[in-house]
Amino acid sequence: MRETVTVVGDHNPALLKYFDCTRSGPRSAFDGNVVYQFEIMEYAQLEISVMFGILINHPVLITECACNPVQSRSKIAELLFESYGVPSVAFGVDAAFSYKYNQQFGICSKDGLAICSGFNTSHVIPFLNGEPVYEACCRTNVGGYHVTDYLKQLLSLKYPHHMSKLTWEKVEDLKMEHCYIAPDYASEVRLFQKGDKKAEEKTRCWQLPWTPTPVEEAPSEEEIARKAALKEKQGQRLREMAEAKRFNRINDLENEIRDLDMLLQRLRHVAENDIPSILGKTVYTSKQDVESALVKATQSLRKAKGEPVESVEKMDPSSTEKYNLINVPDEMLTPDQNPERYLEELRAKHRDLSEKVEQRKKLKTNGGHSNGNHNGSGGGVGRGERLNSSQRERMRLLTTAAFDRGKGEDTFGTKDEDWQLYKLMSRDNDDDDDDKPDPDEAELARISSRLQEIDPTFIFKSEAGSSSAAEAPRFRPLTKEDFQIILGVERFRCPEILFNPNLIGIEQAGLDEMAGISIRRSEASKGVEERITNSILLTGGSCLFPGMSERLEAGIRMIRPCGTPIKIVKASDPILDAWRGASAYAAAMQFPHQTFSRMDYYEKGEDWLRSYQLRYTI
Amino acid sequence: MEPEVVEAELVLPTHMKFKKIQMYEKYPKGQARVRWKHLKQIIQAENYQNYPPNEPNYVNIESPPSTHPCKRICDITGYEAPYFDPRTKLHYANAEVFKVIRSLPNDYVQRYLALRNAAVVLR
Repeated sequence: MRETVTVVGDHNPALLKYFDCTRSGPRSAFDGNVVYQFEIMEYAQLEISVMFGILINHPVLITECACNPVQSRSKIAELLFESYGVPSVAFGVDAAFSYKYNQQFGICSKDGLAICSGFNTSHVIPFLNGEPVYEACCRTNVGGYHVTDYLKQLLSLKYPHHMSKLTWEKVEDLKMEHCYIAPDYASEVRLFQKGDKKAEEKTRCWQLPWTPTPVEEAPSEEEIARKAALKEKQGQRLREMAEAKRFNRINDLENEIRDLDMLLQRLRHVAENDIPSILGKTVYTSKQDVESALVKATQSLRKAKGEPVESVEKMDPSSTEKYNLINVPDEMLTPDQNPERYLEELRAKHRDLSEKVEQRKKLKTNGGHSNGNHNGSGGGVGRGERLNSSQRERMRLLTTAAFDRGKGEDTFGTKDEDWQLYKLMSRDNDDDDDDKPDPDEAELARISSRLQEIDPTFIFKSEAGSSSAAEAPRFRPLTKEDFQIILGVERFRCPEILFNPNLIGIEQAGLDEMAGISIRRSEASKGVEERITNSILLTGGSCLFPGMSERLEAGIRMIRPCGTPIKIVKASDPILDAWRGASAYAAAMQFPHQTFSRMDYYEKGEDWLRSYQLRYTI
Repeated sequence: MEPEVVEAELVLPTHMKFKKIQMYEKYPKGQARVRWKHLKQIIQAENYQNYPPNEPNYVNIESPPSTHPCKRICDITGYEAPYFDPRTKLHYANAEVFKVIRSLPNDYVQRYLALRNAAVVLR
């Protein structure tokens, strides 16, 4: 049964396997911190109402981001009024609720600053007389998401073979457990650069599960003896084969000589006229031909017979000494004379050829397909495809060919070789007309088959072996250290982007600078400014990094006049305080006066909605 | 539906009593999905330039670029980076890191640059 199903809730892999999730991944209703996918929003709300099984017939308070675009607001209002039949709605800023909640407990006072560092954005909002001053509000588009993403990218680049282990959820866990904010980035990093002992203490190591490969013991005496016997047997086989061949050749030659002899005899006993008729049946044209052929055959026979005498002597010493190959002079290269040397030569040739063919194949396939390692989350498909050298080369050719030279004379085409450019540019990459790989590949096939015949230990290495092209050739067995992920500088490099967004290319101010900007924008008098800096509240999930308060204090002290009182406090529960504040607000008696009803919305329209703001002190 | 899935209440029922307009009426399946406007388009449609600039809105509360002197760190190691490689456009801290940089394949270089939003985008 094929129907599209929308699934809402926590990521539970056990249950998700019942669904085919390949067509679409998890989707969020938010773009940045603004809701834009209202269908998804509706589904999310539906899930909540279903869970509680309630019919909503009371005022609803919705939290939003600061200065939410009116379109988002109006669509949410419509959603609530139309689909759910809610009587009245109020919108409030989450950071403000958090501040008011903490103000109730005396953690911060009615004049102060709320620094809210969320998932996608960070806000700084000053409060005067208990109300947020949005004119002086400041927002940077850096949040916990960017920190996690940065950490994920850095680790993936450093440990490409462990990329499958570095899932988003895992990296977020790592970030929450191990990341901290250094009081001063430069001095902290210098510790690591010098290799200080403190730096080593701060380095954390994550050991991935790993099974050691069984260690091969040094071959024992029996092993060595067995291997030697095997080698000897090999040599013996080769020798026997060579012998058999020689024997056959000698036989053939002898037969040939006998035949030729007989023919000559007949020719001698026959008259001159009959010679052509007899010779016509054979391949020879005259008596001299036959005689010369006979001479040649006897010579070859002598040579063939002469060799076995020599090589037998050579073989006896070679069977007892292992290293006589070095002493054998270089001319002995045929299989008849020195089988082991021949085998080694064959093996070496095979290795070289297979490497060459593999390389050429790699170049071909890299030109045709996109690079397997390319970064999926960042950049479009176009960027990933063009990043290896052959594709870039092609790009370069295309741009130089297309470039309009303008002033200078265009001499392209005067020489015939110029047109070869188009061949190089062609994407088909010479599957049809390139002759070069074929002789190499044919040679390789021939040598492989030969080796297969004579060498029992030869395993034909097919092209499938080149699948590990992405990994470096392993010259040694993997150890425990290969499966460790080390978090050193990354621990404090990633949260640093909250204070210095330039590190990830976002040209905005960091948290400490934002505080200064916000205070400046608020245009408060000096006394009020001091009261503001004396009550700074840290809220939002991304303010939970250890060392955040100290760093903020140092940063704000740098930009404020000397001697101003600075007090930074963390909210009692940075993650949930916004909700707690909102629920406390909604439970208040005066809350319904702050809401607007459906009639209000339709009568007064969007413009009114734009300027609608809650009053937080009720 | 398998029993575990039903129990986990992952899949929502199609008709709900408390809703006035049901989901299947509002978003009929099979039809071309409504293309929701992305944030950029929402902001454009807002026409913030028609309103007085001192009123806070989504766009003008954004932070300005930083006035602190720009701190460059090495793209590979994270140390302070006084040096700059003109070929790959990466910042680096010392000679060993430079060796590593020059031996990196091109896609890794682009990914390091992408971390800083400085990658060359060929479309």
